Amino acid sequence: MEYVASHAEPTPTDETAVELAEAEPQPRAVSASWREYALAVAIVALATLVALLLRPYLAATNLAMVYLLGVVAVATRCSRSASVMASFLSVAAFDFFCVPPYLTFQVSEYEYLITFAGMLAVALVISAQTSRIRAQAASAVDRESRTKALYRLSRRLAAQTRVFDAALAAAEVAEQVFGSHVTIFLPEDGRISFRKRTSNQLLISTAEEEIAQAVFDHGRKAGKGMERFPAAAATYVPLKGVSRIVGVMAILPGPHGETLKADQQHLLDLFANQTALAIERTLSQNAADDARMQMETEEMRSSLLSAVSHDLRTPLASITGAATTLRSQSDKLPPAVRDELLDSISEEALRLSRLVGNLLDMTRLESGVELRVDLYPLEEIVGAALQRLEPQLAGRETSVSLPEDLPLVKVDDVLLGQVLGNLIENATKYSPPGSAIEIAAEAVAGAVQLEVRDRGPGFAAGEEKRLFEKFYRGKSEGVRGAGLGLAICRAIVVAHRGSIEALHRPGGGAIFRIRLPLDALMKVDARL
Amino acid sequence: MKPLVLVIEDDPQIRRFLRATLAAEDYQFHEAVTAAEGSAQAAARQPDLVLLDLGLPDRDGLDVIREIRSWSQMPIVVLSARGQEKDKIAALDLGADDYVAKPFAVGELLARIRAALRRAAPLAPDGTDPVIRFGNVEADFEKRQIIVGGQEVHLTPNEYKLLQVLIKHAGRVVTQRQLLNEVWGPQHTEQSQYLRVYVAQLRRKLEQDPARPRYLQTEPGVGYRLSFDR
Repeated sequence: MEYVASHAEPTPTDETAVELAEAEPQPRAVSASWREYALAVAIVALATLVALLLRPYLAATNLAMVYLLGVVAVATRCSRSASVMASFLSVAAFDFFCVPPYLTFQVSEYEYLITFAGMLAVALVISAQTSRIRAQAASAVDRESRTKALYRLSRRLAAQTRVFDAALAAAEVAEQVFGSHVTIFLPEDGRISFRKRTSNQLLISTAEEEIAQAVFDHGRKAGKGMERFPAAAATYVPLKGVSRIVGVMAILPGPHGETLKADQQHLLDLFANQTALAIERTLSQNAADDARMQMETEEMRSSLLSAVSHDLRTPLASITGAATTLRSQSDKLPPAVRDELLDSISEEALRLSRLVGNLLDMTRLESGVELRVDLYPLEEIVGAALQRLEPQLAGRETSVSLPEDLPLVKVDDVLLGQVLGNLIENATKYSPPGSAIEIAAEAVAGAVQLEVRDRGPGFAAGEEKRLFEKFYRGKSEGVRGAGLGLAICRAIVVAHRGSIEALHRPGGGAIFRIRLPLDALMKVDARL
Repeated sequence: MKPLVLVIEDDPQIRRFLRATLAAEDYQFHEAVTAAEGSAQAAARQPDLVLLDLGLPDRDGLDVIREIRSWSQMPIVVLSARGQEKDKIAALDLGADDYVAKPFAVGELLARIRAALRRAAPLAPDGTDPVIRFGNVEADFEKRQIIVGGQEVHLTPNEYKLLQVLIKHAGRVVTQRQLLNEVWGPQHTEQSQYLRVYVAQLRRKLEQDPARPRYLQTEPGVGYRLSFDR
């Protein structure tokens, strides 16, 4: 199976577009860059300028406040090291420009040393506190976007019931969050398979294939930006479930060749973990479903076997018995007995043929048969069924009442004929020989209703529904059958979107009523 | 001279009973096991009738019909499995004369063989006797008159044509497509619901109980058969 070709790219909805904007990655530096130091220097310089302007009017100790303000400004914008630097720089600049003698680091009064110490201490505390608050805020933002991304992933994953769909969804969300191409590889028979990958945009060489396989085998990250196989085109992350590795996620470097930063790496790990768990869960869900279906199939098979083997063996036994009797004792048998035996051979063979036919029909219907519907006069279908059953109907009064203005029915003639045939045959089997059978149809509100009525003993109260179950046999004695006829009828009628029911007939007997809904009908064209 | 029947069938048990029953009915019998052998035997022996199984080991039985029809109109009766209406229609549309669905009673098979042989007889009764009778129906194609139970009934032109075609193929199943083609022309072969309405009307005019037709019989999923011994 070609997975790549058979899965169309899902169209992103507006909702996902909005989420995408919210979750846009914010790449952040962890260490202060030279820009921050430059900014710190600039702010100290600015504070110095302000202090120089105010120097004629203010006492030197008050000018220290200007510098402290500068340190606060630096601390709110830059890293802690930059603001620490700004603190020392401010003290130095204060000494140099604001404490007489100006433009030297010499101090005229020792009192100023206390000012320096206090100023430095306050500046350092401000730096420390501010950057701690900033870090907290930043990590809160980080956490929030990460949580959003993971939430979106988990929501998409939860909706998937198939492994490949889960992988597709995960790859799609990962691509949006990390802003670079992501492909997920799934294994096939214990090996990473290139037929089971979520996209074929990642061009894979044999070397890359081996790296992916190694990651799958050993469960450790490798590839670009990693210790192992740093020369690879992509970064490969194992999808580690609880009990096993379920696949490999490959992420390509961004458009400018940049690899993921440390915090993104962390998020990627979380992604991989969540995807792996989802895939594993889907796998075990599928395995459970398979097992249950297998069990049901087994159960059905065994009930079918027990029901059918009896029904197959009985006629075979009569045929074999009759045939061998004729063969070995032919000259001792009176002609009438020979005829009887011959009759039973052909009758039993016919019964066997019907049973096999029913079994085949049931199998065909259950595997989803295609209806070949067209417009038919009900009369024709009834006529064909009666014709086929002529031998069974011999010696009975069979009345057919079909109004002339009955609409044409849109049905599969062969299958509906089979339903009628089964019902009429049942009527002959379950009613005394010579009793009348009636077939009647009428147009009712929104449907055409067709009934087959007999004057047999009917069926037991409470059996109405069960009669249509597979392998259910009515409680009447002396009638043999596999219990498939009515199940086949129901399957066919339901396929026509109609309904079938069994009713007790007033005055004794059974009525089987089929309703074919109006949308399965069409009016006869009057011009014909 | 006894008519020669060529049986193309791969199952030995079915060949065995066909051999017995055909011999008892005074037919000569020849058999082939594969499609290739069957085609060759048909050409070499020029049988009066071919009895052909569709499920042959080497090739589709439909191929055999195609091959034989490329050079001969000899009657072909197909043995098909139950429930395979598509195959039946395909065989008939390729020119097979009739089919018998397995499992079949010998009486039915012999009736089909007789009807097919009769149709192939060089003196077609249409030429000699313009009046066809079945049940209480008298169809006089010279006078264009249809009499049912002594009363003349009026048929519309299409009904009349339909009856003519059915009588021409009397005893044999005619597919819906063939009927539509012969009555309405090749451009109408898909409009089978019209055909069904006409058949229903014809039944009402000719049959005593149109819901239980004795002559104009339906072969579900395949077509119609006007069933009487001409």
